Amino acid sequence: MKSNQISKSLFGRRLFVVANTLILLMLALSMIVPLINVLAVSFTTDLESFENTIKLFPRDPSTIGYRTLFKRVAILHPFLNNTIVTLVGTFLHVFLASIAGYMLTKQRFVGKALLVLMVTIPMMIPFQMIIIPVYVMMRRLGLIDTLYSLIVIDIVATFSILLMKNYFEGIPISLAESALMDGAREFTIFSRIYVPLALPGIATISIFQFVSRWNQFLPAVLFINSPTKYTLQIALRSLVVSQELTSTTQQVANNTRMAGIVISIVPLILVYIFAQKYFIKGMMTGAIKD
Amino acid sequence: MGKNPDREVRMSSIARTAYRARKDWMLYVLILPALMYFILFAFLPVAEGANISFQNYRFVGESEYIGFQNYQRVFETAGFWRVFRNTVILGFSNVLLTAFIPMLLALMLNEVMFSPWKRFVQTILYLPHLFSWVVVGGIWIFILAPNGGIVNSIRGLFGADPVFFLVKENLARSLYIGINLWKQAGFVCILFLAAIAGINPELYEAAMIDGAGGFMRAMYITVPELMRTLKVVLLLNVMGALRIFDQIYVMRNEVVAPKVDVLMYYVYIRGLEQFDLGYASAISVFIFLITLVITLIARRFMKYNV
Repeated sequence: MKSNQISKSLFGRRLFVVANTLILLMLALSMIVPLINVLAVSFTTDLESFENTIKLFPRDPSTIGYRTLFKRVAILHPFLNNTIVTLVGTFLHVFLASIAGYMLTKQRFVGKALLVLMVTIPMMIPFQMIIIPVYVMMRRLGLIDTLYSLIVIDIVATFSILLMKNYFEGIPISLAESALMDGAREFTIFSRIYVPLALPGIATISIFQFVSRWNQFLPAVLFINSPTKYTLQIALRSLVVSQELTSTTQQVANNTRMAGIVISIVPLILVYIFAQKYFIKGMMTGAIKD
Repeated sequence: MGKNPDREVRMSSIARTAYRARKDWMLYVLILPALMYFILFAFLPVAEGANISFQNYRFVGESEYIGFQNYQRVFETAGFWRVFRNTVILGFSNVLLTAFIPMLLALMLNEVMFSPWKRFVQTILYLPHLFSWVVVGGIWIFILAPNGGIVNSIRGLFGADPVFFLVKENLARSLYIGINLWKQAGFVCILFLAAIAGINPELYEAAMIDGAGGFMRAMYITVPELMRTLKVVLLLNVMGALRIFDQIYVMRNEVVAPKVDVLMYYVYIRGLEQFDLGYASAISVFIFLITLVITLIARRFMKYNV
């Protein structure tokens, strides 16, 4: 009787494990197959890229898609614009978050309560809700249709400032004190003690900024008009969106479109592979923050 | 305790005050860029947005105050209520689906004993979250395309005619919701997995001693312990729901537009394509107020129930 029950529950467990594995496998495949398909099609010839087969490997490998992408679609310029905006924007974002976060770790100074409020309230003001007045502001500052507008937007974020503040607060105060005793200046203490010890935080913010700036879309839609200032996402959009909407342009073959997708996700995947632990860390902090 | 260097440093009081003043001056410089940014790109725009919403605002020429006329026009347009409805339907589905399905996924992944497989699935599921909506939209437009797309290729194997899924009006919302789930599920799932990792193992040990099986343990220990995370996720999703823009901007077409055009897209078109800035601002202010109310209610709800 009892052994019967145990074997029954063992059987149930096995059934569950099999079903569980199958479902997870299917889900994983739903992510992997499209990506392999995209990669495979990007290396097909123009004609093969329109074939109705589930292509996981190009029959007749060719780089014509990439050549079209760089020659006729001229993706290099948007790619470089994107790189500039991403690198400069990320660097400045991390720098400003670090110095502001460091400032907020100080215990007592005039107007601290007000400053903390002014830093935290913007978290409640989503960019999407103020696109019209932000556009007006950008216009007033003369930044419309410049890459500066894309660098300036999101150059400061409450989340990053608070994250840096938390990291700095985790650093033992005795370190700074002994440096102060030795006659070190505030700047030296910040750059020689605080920054190196808060590197994990800096890495987390850098990576998140890198990804979100690389993918930045709405600001580019709003602020950029001339093709020479296009970022990758804008250029990619006109490439991949269905043709009847962009009928004025010449027919672009599927291989070229998929090549566009490939070159825009390769940097992201590289960052993901090399910095996975910071992704998880940053996500945790982000969720706990609320 | 001991966090304040000032208190610890031994100096004469005059020297200390002088030192403090100099240091404080430095401090304000450190936060000045952040403050300027928030003033220029958050506080002023909120005020200015409200201001514009009461004017027939123009970039060039005179703008005049017209009271609540913009708001009146907003609430009287059928177009506004259509996109409002779409936003609520898409948003509500996204809020629920991208909370409960990832939670289920996390419970399933938690039962996986072979950790390389678990890590592999986790990593793969997270991938689409890294990509922009242009990329995700582009991939799906291709997957669902009538020529060359995977779905129609599979249908072709069974002799079915290709279908142009993205211009099927009655399919549009489900597709958009499904694709959003595809993009976000892995990310939300990892939040749940982290919460599961933080559950006190003694709870499980006690349950094992009491003879609870895997299912019972999940139902009576893991799920209740995940409620806090679930609330956080729901709140994050609600915040995101009213802001849907990128996905629609990338994936929409004129055929399905009546079913999928959302508030933010409408604001963009009316404001920055048709330059009806007062009208668009009135909508923004309206959505902003709704968001604020929802946030406050949700926060209060969360505080009392944790």
